[in-house]
Amino acid sequence: MDTTQLLKGVLDLAVLAVLREEDGYGYDILRRLREAGLEEVGDASVYGTLRRLFAAGLLTTYVVPSESGPHRKYYSLNAAGRDQLTRSGKLWRSFATTMDSLLDDRGLAA
Amino acid sequence: MTVTEQEITDYVARVRAALADLPPARRDELTEDLPDHLAEVAAEAHGTLVERLGEPEAYAAELRAAAGAPASGRNLDQRVAAAVVRARGRLRTIDTRLGPPLGYETASDFLRLLRPGWWVLRGYLAAMLVTVITTGGSFGLLPRFGGELLAGLIMLGGFLLASIWIGRRSTRLRRWPRWALHAGSVVLVVFAFAALVQAEDRMRYDDYSYGPTAVDSQYEQVRDVFVYDSEGRLVENARLFDQNGDPIRLGYPDCADPADIYGKPLLRPYPYCPDQAPFGPRAPGVPVPPAAPTTAPTTSPEPTTTPEPTTTPVPTGTATGQPTVGPTATPSGVPSPSATG
Repeated sequence: MDTTQLLKGVLDLAVLAVLREEDGYGYDILRRLREAGLEEVGDASVYGTLRRLFAAGLLTTYVVPSESGPHRKYYSLNAAGRDQLTRSGKLWRSFATTMDSLLDDRGLAA
Repeated sequence: MTVTEQEITDYVARVRAALADLPPARRDELTEDLPDHLAEVAAEAHGTLVERLGEPEAYAAELRAAAGAPASGRNLDQRVAAAVVRARGRLRTIDTRLGPPLGYETASDFLRLLRPGWWVLRGYLAAMLVTVITTGGSFGLLPRFGGELLAGLIMLGGFLLASIWIGRRSTRLRRWPRWALHAGSVVLVVFAFAALVQAEDRMRYDDYSYGPTAVDSQYEQVRDVFVYDSEGRLVENARLFDQNGDPIRLGYPDCADPADIYGKPLLRPYPYCPDQAPFGPRAPGVPVPPAAPTTAPTTSPEPTTTPEPTTTPVPTGTATGQPTVGPTATPSGVPSPSATG
């Protein structure tokens, strides 16, 4: 099992989480995820996830013109997105706790 | 900036090409922002887009997975999978529509209740399949193992229990065992259908009760079988078997038989009615009369103890014969029975 596989399940949550503090555009979000430690995450995965979350009505977008380069499309969490983040976050925590205790039990038994 | 507009356009075109199997609206939804996004990427990073992001086809595959779009339908497997998904959707609709008339929420709720019944039937069918294999094609309603009813019933019990056991655990089976189970079930259903068709044929022609060996219709008019030994003597209590050891049943006992010691008319040996033998018995000790000089040697295939050719009537299979012409008949110039053939 590698991180790429694990990421598939939780990339939604990760993207929502990095948008909780601050809005971001595609490449910025990718960079924040990588800085947080998810180094394997690919650009297409983030872009695709953003498109999907947007289509699901969890994100809103706005365009910010830039003097130095192309204009940027910023994504921000809306109410539904925050709600989803809370629910998915709880689910993840309970799942992670279960996995932790499972691994601890196995470790003790071994 | 090392990335040109043209490079972005080309990259987007190749990504869109790799997503060509998606519905156009879905593809547009996924890629409408892609030029802008790639422009952002190009502004942030160095090197060409392919160096930064990999080949467009790989990018498209990753995008497809992340966006939750169905996997590429380009190869046959995936097209089949998509068709299966569509068919499942349609089946689900039918399932929920058929449910209420049956008194259940869905038809599958109803069918699920019948599953233990299918397990029992499956065990029975498996036992019958073994019956057909071990007894060489002839079978009734009860399983037999190599012709043995008791062994067949024990086998039936074992198969029933095994089928139920497997049925209760089928949801936990891995992929290949489950496939094997489904394939076996299909074989049994086909076998059951074939067996039903055969049984139906047998019942329609009404020779259902005449025993285990099917005989060709050319023997339909045979009512009894008379076996003669090389001496021309009627053999009593004869039994006929085919190459599998199955009794050959011809005719049926239609005369009252006091010697029906077996109680099963169909197990009675031949002939059923010795009184009706087409050729009379030869009196013991009576020598076969010599052939009349005027009688030409016959081509009788039956060997006799008589040194010279005789007119002894023999059961050459031409049972049309003249029953009055027996070994006791006075030799005469009457045509030899072989001439009646």
